[in-house]
Amino acid sequence: MIELRAGSLRTRLVTVAAAAIAAGLLISGCGGGAAPQGAEQAAAADPASGANASGSVNICGVKDASGIYKGTAEAFTKANGKVTAKYTEIGATTDEARTQIVQRLEGKSTECDIFLTDVIWTSEFASQGWLLDQTKLVEANKDRLIPSTVETTKYQDKYWASPFFTNAGLVYYQKDKVAKPETWQQLYAEAAKAPGNGYVYQGKQYEGLTVNFLEMLYSAGGEVLDDKGEVAIDSPETRKVLDFMSNGLKNGSADRAVLTYNEDPARLAYESGNFGYQRNWPHVYRLLNATSLAGSFGVAPLPAWEGGKASGVLGGWNLAISAHATNQSGAVAFIDFATTPEWQKHVAMDYSQAPVNEAAYSDAAVLQKMPFATELLASVKGAKPRPISPVYPQISQAIYKNVYAVLSGTASAEDAVKKMAEEITTAKASF
Amino acid sequence: MANKTLVPGRGVNGRDRAERRLAVRMTAPSLVIMALVAAVPIGYAIWLSLNQYSVRTAGLSRFVGLENYISALSSSEWWAAFGQTFLFAGLSVSLELALGTAMALLLNLAFKGRALLRTVVLLPYAIITVVSAITWQTMFQPNMGLVTNVLSALGLPGGDVVWLGEHGYAMAVIVLADVWKTTPFAALIILAGLQVISSETYEAAELDGASKWQAFVHITLPLLRPAIVLAAIFRTMDALRVFDLPFVLTRGANGTESMSMLAYTQLRENRLVGEGSALSILTFLTVMVVSVIYVRFAGGNIREVAKEEQ
Repeated sequence: MIELRAGSLRTRLVTVAAAAIAAGLLISGCGGGAAPQGAEQAAAADPASGANASGSVNICGVKDASGIYKGTAEAFTKANGKVTAKYTEIGATTDEARTQIVQRLEGKSTECDIFLTDVIWTSEFASQGWLLDQTKLVEANKDRLIPSTVETTKYQDKYWASPFFTNAGLVYYQKDKVAKPETWQQLYAEAAKAPGNGYVYQGKQYEGLTVNFLEMLYSAGGEVLDDKGEVAIDSPETRKVLDFMSNGLKNGSADRAVLTYNEDPARLAYESGNFGYQRNWPHVYRLLNATSLAGSFGVAPLPAWEGGKASGVLGGWNLAISAHATNQSGAVAFIDFATTPEWQKHVAMDYSQAPVNEAAYSDAAVLQKMPFATELLASVKGAKPRPISPVYPQISQAIYKNVYAVLSGTASAEDAVKKMAEEITTAKASF
Repeated sequence: MANKTLVPGRGVNGRDRAERRLAVRMTAPSLVIMALVAAVPIGYAIWLSLNQYSVRTAGLSRFVGLENYISALSSSEWWAAFGQTFLFAGLSVSLELALGTAMALLLNLAFKGRALLRTVVLLPYAIITVVSAITWQTMFQPNMGLVTNVLSALGLPGGDVVWLGEHGYAMAVIVLADVWKTTPFAALIILAGLQVISSETYEAAELDGASKWQAFVHITLPLLRPAIVLAAIFRTMDALRVFDLPFVLTRGANGTESMSMLAYTQLRENRLVGEGSALSILTFLTVMVVSVIYVRFAGGNIREVAKEEQ
């Protein structure tokens, strides 16, 4: 009996080893698959072609939690009459959707005409020759688009997507406890005054921390890459902001728990009523209004750095046309529709997302549904894109890992700045 | 039960040769399948790891030899992940074996409702790791998590600790989550080992005047060794490949980044196929070396025990 067990042990070992190999290595197989042979010269979208488009258009992207993508496709189909649009969900989360999109683009799939792209993907996708050049289309629509949102579609002086809806950080504050924040210094000082005044933000080691850090860095006048694309993060501004943030955790301005928070835990903690300030995205407004805090909180644009001006970081989603789209004119017609001032009002009213059309923010119907539209517009207009680079994911990792190390107290600001600069330089060299 | 004529190295006669040819023919299809599912992906991954792919060249590769391995092995990140993974494996596997043995002894007792209890203790193992990881994350959330709230309510220390935001504590939560989930699995294997020990052995020991404790130390434990070793091998190999727990709970912060997470980041997020493949191969080699050591040393024990039994 035991003799047999010893034998089967070895057999099982082989099985386990095979499973280990398959699990560990199948992942690596995916990345190297059918990739395009060098970046091709991508064709350009013709803005006039949308007028005589027909057939169907398939838009692919992340799971449609708010219903905005399917809603837009339906409204377009109804309004256009000649072209049918369909939205296909290809990933439950942003990360999953990106993997799915990259696989389709590498494999030259013709399944999707339009990809819904996160603003930080533009450079990488454009540099691979995966997208149709939308410069002419964007130029034609430019007067109805907020300039900062158009910037998120730019790579090497061309536009590779059209903005669909945007996103900028806001500060929610308890009106009865704390003052409306004007500067970061004032916010932190006020937050430290009483135990219930504290500030919560997204301080977990992930992309959100990069955003929270950059919002402060930009307002302090610092930057990651300069105008020429050179690494500029090793600066007095970076040190200043890192010290400021880590002091804030030490003196109780910010709760230490933020080291584990991404968007939702930050919101839930704030909803307990034990904090004065919260940095989060606009969608939180609707959720906060459904809690006992309704009526007692205010919404403010991100504060400025003392003596400077406010400057946030843009989020949001763009519409990019695949280089292998089978219905390019249909895609152009859809993008035209999605960015019209009329539809952009619905983006705000029906789905609580930030429009890319400025006029929408002062529309009476929009203001009724989104009373903080003025503050939101101020945040959107003042916001800058995140560092523009095809190796953005690596740059962001260099930022959030080192910022986290300072906040959690395992690295000094000085060491972290040096390491960040070094890692960003290495990342850039890998392109 | 073992068929002696199939053991290699024994005297070979005509009948043996025919049987061996038959054996080869019968195992050939599964060998081919094994080669396809195991050898081909490994070979491909090794090839990928010897090349450099950059985002700029969009999939075109350049042969760089062992460069990816050299840069991985000279990076502090790899060694940090290596150390953290071994720390995790060491802590979680030893706890799982100790608790698993205790649990198996308990389940081996004859009592009413034993079958039901056996099913119930397996429940944690049936839950998808990512789901249980999210549950643990919620429980250890500062300010509103169950664990932190209960600790504060009882006035115990730890109520104000940001468990997943501190070095040391974060690893403790990850180990705890793993122990909770996979101890039943270890218990199951050990229980199977317990059940092949015949009751006559114990009866004989009792006649010789051995106490319960003596019987446990001198009979149960030695006879249980093969089962414990098997559980240890399974659990160690799994633990060295750990990905989902630290990924969900900390994203690798606070000294919890595992080797697999590092490979994932390079492959998936950064699309550095060469570097990422080199990291997967290194992870795979680490697991291989550890399991070979196990089989060489602990596996020898299995054979000895088997001989003693005969």
